[in-house]
Amino acid sequence: MSPKIEPSKSLRDRCAIVGAGTSQLGKVPGVSAQGLLEEAIGNALNDSGLTTKDIDGLLLRGPDEIYTFHQVMGERLGIDCTFSTTLTNGGASQVMGVALAVMAIEAGLATTVVVGYGRDNWSRVHANKENHMRASGRPQQMYGVEFGPEIGLFGAVAAHAFGAQRHMHEFGTTREQFGKIAISFRDHALRNPEAVMKKPLSIEDYFNGRMIVSPFGLFDCSLQTDAAGAVIVTSSERAKDLRQKPVLIKGFGMGNNLSGWHNNDNLTHTGAIEAGKLAYSMAGLGPTDVDFAQIYDCFTYMVLVQLEDYGFCKKGEGGPFVQSGALDLYGSLPTNTSGGQLSEAHVEGMLQIVEGVRQLQGNYSPNRQVKNAEIGLISGHGGNTVCESTLILGAN
Amino acid sequence: MTEYLKPIPIPSPDSLPFWEAAREHNLCMQKCRKCHKYWFPPSTLCPQCGNKVYDWVNTSGIGSVHSFVIYHRLYHKGWTAEVPYVVALIELDEGPRLYANLVDIEPDEVRCDQKVKVYFDDVTEKCTIPKFRPLNASPD
Repeated sequence: MSPKIEPSKSLRDRCAIVGAGTSQLGKVPGVSAQGLLEEAIGNALNDSGLTTKDIDGLLLRGPDEIYTFHQVMGERLGIDCTFSTTLTNGGASQVMGVALAVMAIEAGLATTVVVGYGRDNWSRVHANKENHMRASGRPQQMYGVEFGPEIGLFGAVAAHAFGAQRHMHEFGTTREQFGKIAISFRDHALRNPEAVMKKPLSIEDYFNGRMIVSPFGLFDCSLQTDAAGAVIVTSSERAKDLRQKPVLIKGFGMGNNLSGWHNNDNLTHTGAIEAGKLAYSMAGLGPTDVDFAQIYDCFTYMVLVQLEDYGFCKKGEGGPFVQSGALDLYGSLPTNTSGGQLSEAHVEGMLQIVEGVRQLQGNYSPNRQVKNAEIGLISGHGGNTVCESTLILGAN
Repeated sequence: MTEYLKPIPIPSPDSLPFWEAAREHNLCMQKCRKCHKYWFPPSTLCPQCGNKVYDWVNTSGIGSVHSFVIYHRLYHKGWTAEVPYVVALIELDEGPRLYANLVDIEPDEVRCDQKVKVYFDDVTEKCTIPKFRPLNASPD
């Protein structure tokens, strides 16, 4: 990667998120992923005071099996757009969608952009045993039908577990430290009435969880849920006339270690290093300016390693950092304050953008509100474990 | 002979020489004629320098465990008798890394950076899969 890349500071604060919405979360039988997304987009529009007639940009992460998903959704919503596409960057898509919205608005190609994603993973995969075996037994797509299935290498749990194992080996990170991440986020979920997980989690519960793919057990893994989220992006100028206090988009960046998760030291050094550097640079901020974070938590370890890569602690010190309680709501860096994908619901990062916006709007009750929340960092991570997008939002 | 229940790899045009060499009990990878580095998985130009001219070269089959996971959950019925089983990311002494099963060791005893050596499992008449075992447990 070129070390000379320098993001344009002129994009800082030029656009804002003016509405955020979610669908029902959890087990929502009888509703398709598209239906969930319509509900979330409708709620985001209501939140902003805008209607579908105001929308001229639609950026969605699609279910991979639906061709040009943005067209399918546009038809259902009755929206014609100038700027629209379906993103296929895994869990890094949603944050990237917000970044693309800013670029499109600044380029004059759109004025008001919806970014959203919906999944019906629980209904489609888990509610039906036959579907479950089909989905979980599918060959890993990384290399097609070789270098995976024939050696019993399946699924996302294992892919991320390779990173966790290497980090434990190099830095002495422990499962107890992974467990603390799950416990902090569960505590946040208990403060969030929408969250799927309702029971407290103790370290004993964590260790009693059945092993899935070691070093990951049940509570290291994110939820399979039906859920959707959406946000509305427009210019900061236009945002002044709208219903909500605008949440400013201060910076964003991307880092994609496309050469592969297995290559170099990528298992312990993620795309967040580059993505974070670019986002901080655009925003004119650094890790010490960040009041809270929403970190992509497909698995506990990915939180720990991204926290290091965003500079919230040194490389290798993620274990002690999370164990100190830093991620708790009243800790030094409240993180995944809605419960995250480990305990709220899993829409590949979309709900974490929504939560970041709401924390900065500052309307939560005191038992859920981050104190003095002015700057939030949101991460998206995915794409065979090497694609990362970063968003820095501000209240002012 | 009992029926083989695990998936059989379907080679791509790029990877066919790898699988053909495995049938001859060789762990063969592409080596760049310009920068002399090996690479894996197979592709049509060197990922390090972009050169298009390469040879398929047998490796030593010796390397170390860069990382590994232990499957406790059953994802495919073919592994019913084997859970918990180990999938390791092996770094060959020649440089490239590949995922493979690590056997002849208790899963709990596997360690990152331990030395391992390839052996070849002729799982069907037409298919051979490279697997690894600890170097000190490998017959000469």
